[in-house]
Amino acid sequence: MTAFIILAIVALVGGIGVVVAPEPVHSALFLIVSIISLALFYILLSAEFLAAAQVIIYAGAIMVLFLFVVTLLTAGKEDREPPESLVGQRVTAGILALLAGGGLAVLGVVYPSRRIPLGLPAQFGNLRGMGNVLWGPDFLYLAAVAMMLLTGAVGVLVVNRPHRLAEANPRVEEQK
Amino acid sequence: MIALEVVFLIIKIVLLIGILMGGFAYTMLLERRLLGFFQLRLGPNRVGPMGLLQPIADGLKMMMKEDLIPSGADPFVYRLAPVIALFTALSVDAVIPFGAPLHLFGLTVYLDIANPSIGLLVAFAFSSLGVYGLVLGGWASQNKYSLMGGIRASAQIISYELAMGLAVMGVIMTTGTANLYKIVVYQQHHGWLWLPQIGAFLVYFITGIAETNRVPFDLPEAESELVAGYHTEYSGMRFASYYIAEYINMITVSGLAVTLFFGGWLGPWLPPIIWFFIKVAVFLFVFIWIRATLPRFRYDRLMNFGWKVLLPAAIVYFLGTAAFISGVL
Repeated sequence: MTAFIILAIVALVGGIGVVVAPEPVHSALFLIVSIISLALFYILLSAEFLAAAQVIIYAGAIMVLFLFVVTLLTAGKEDREPPESLVGQRVTAGILALLAGGGLAVLGVVYPSRRIPLGLPAQFGNLRGMGNVLWGPDFLYLAAVAMMLLTGAVGVLVVNRPHRLAEANPRVEEQK
Repeated sequence: MIALEVVFLIIKIVLLIGILMGGFAYTMLLERRLLGFFQLRLGPNRVGPMGLLQPIADGLKMMMKEDLIPSGADPFVYRLAPVIALFTALSVDAVIPFGAPLHLFGLTVYLDIANPSIGLLVAFAFSSLGVYGLVLGGWASQNKYSLMGGIRASAQIISYELAMGLAVMGVIMTTGTANLYKIVVYQQHHGWLWLPQIGAFLVYFITGIAETNRVPFDLPEAESELVAGYHTEYSGMRFASYYIAEYINMITVSGLAVTLFFGGWLGPWLPPIIWFFIKVAVFLFVFIWIRATLPRFRYDRLMNFGWKVLLPAAIVYFLGTAAFISGVL
């Protein structure tokens, strides 16, 4: 329980930091803090494979790409956010978030759900368990999603393809 | 009994860090002397017998140097980045078994700090975080060369990490486990894996050189174009942290290669730990040999090689291994 509370605080600080930090790179760092504390939550649930996958994929790959883009795009610019054009949107967003969270909390207290004594399924989140989930009955749908993402990526490349240079410039194009 | 285990654990952690730091110091000396011999000169040989005290002199020099922070830098991230680099480099080694289990005072002592059931993936998780040290260091310096180095590092490491992951998948499939200790035990009974996994090993080793940013993949710190890349602005111990991290990453890549493909600590006559260190030393020699031999990649060729040669090769070998293991072939 203590571990959970500490991790929850760290995760929340990370999440709030993403929104609050004025510099994009700092936001990305806070997001990494949040991601890593989520991975530690998985370890608390003894889902060690999920934890490793979370760190490798989200912290090790996706956030590196984020940072790549952020550092590349903000290079040499004043990379702090410009002053808000809509007045008071932070305050409004905060009030709305509080209302939504409070509403959910009230609903949770008014209509307490019965606790579902499922516990964790066998091999939850370890290598074999995740393998069974991924290659189990839903494999076709997962593969379809993967194909869809791949199609999207290829589509972006095709749409953004530069026009073929008339007779490749040897300084730009590698000579084949 | 638990107290004894904790004592052993602390001793192991201190020993590991000591070995890695000493390994760093003398790998660097070895590199400088070998580079000297490769280039028909002597290399550093004046400090102590055969230059053996050179690392201590270097360390003293690093500690005495002034610690500079550029006026435009982001001070927190600037200080954080080398720490990330060094921390991730050191923590990967926690899961590598350095030798056969010992029996001391009625306890079985495993020669790794932690032995998680997915040790290989934990090692990958830590090493995948190592790139932040480079990217953040390059960004926080607010220097165009540093920034270019950091951006190159992130692009390069993302590109080569994929092929590296696919290469080690073959080992996981063959052995049926991601636990490094069990992978070595499997090789004890079924032979070392480098021969059946030769394609995966080659891909792993090439991507390993790229992940450690060594020649010919040292574009993030290409001296002739970027001054020193991501660590241009660093000095003193912060610069030394990057340096240490690079050499410890070399040791780690070699240690993982030995564990995954060359039977870890296995070997006749000599004690297991000695065998492990001999194999790692051979890999370190190959690292230095490559550095003395090959010129640096051009950037577009680096990307082409990673995405159009290594990744397809790794996928083909991976699918072939999968077909073989599942009995289709």
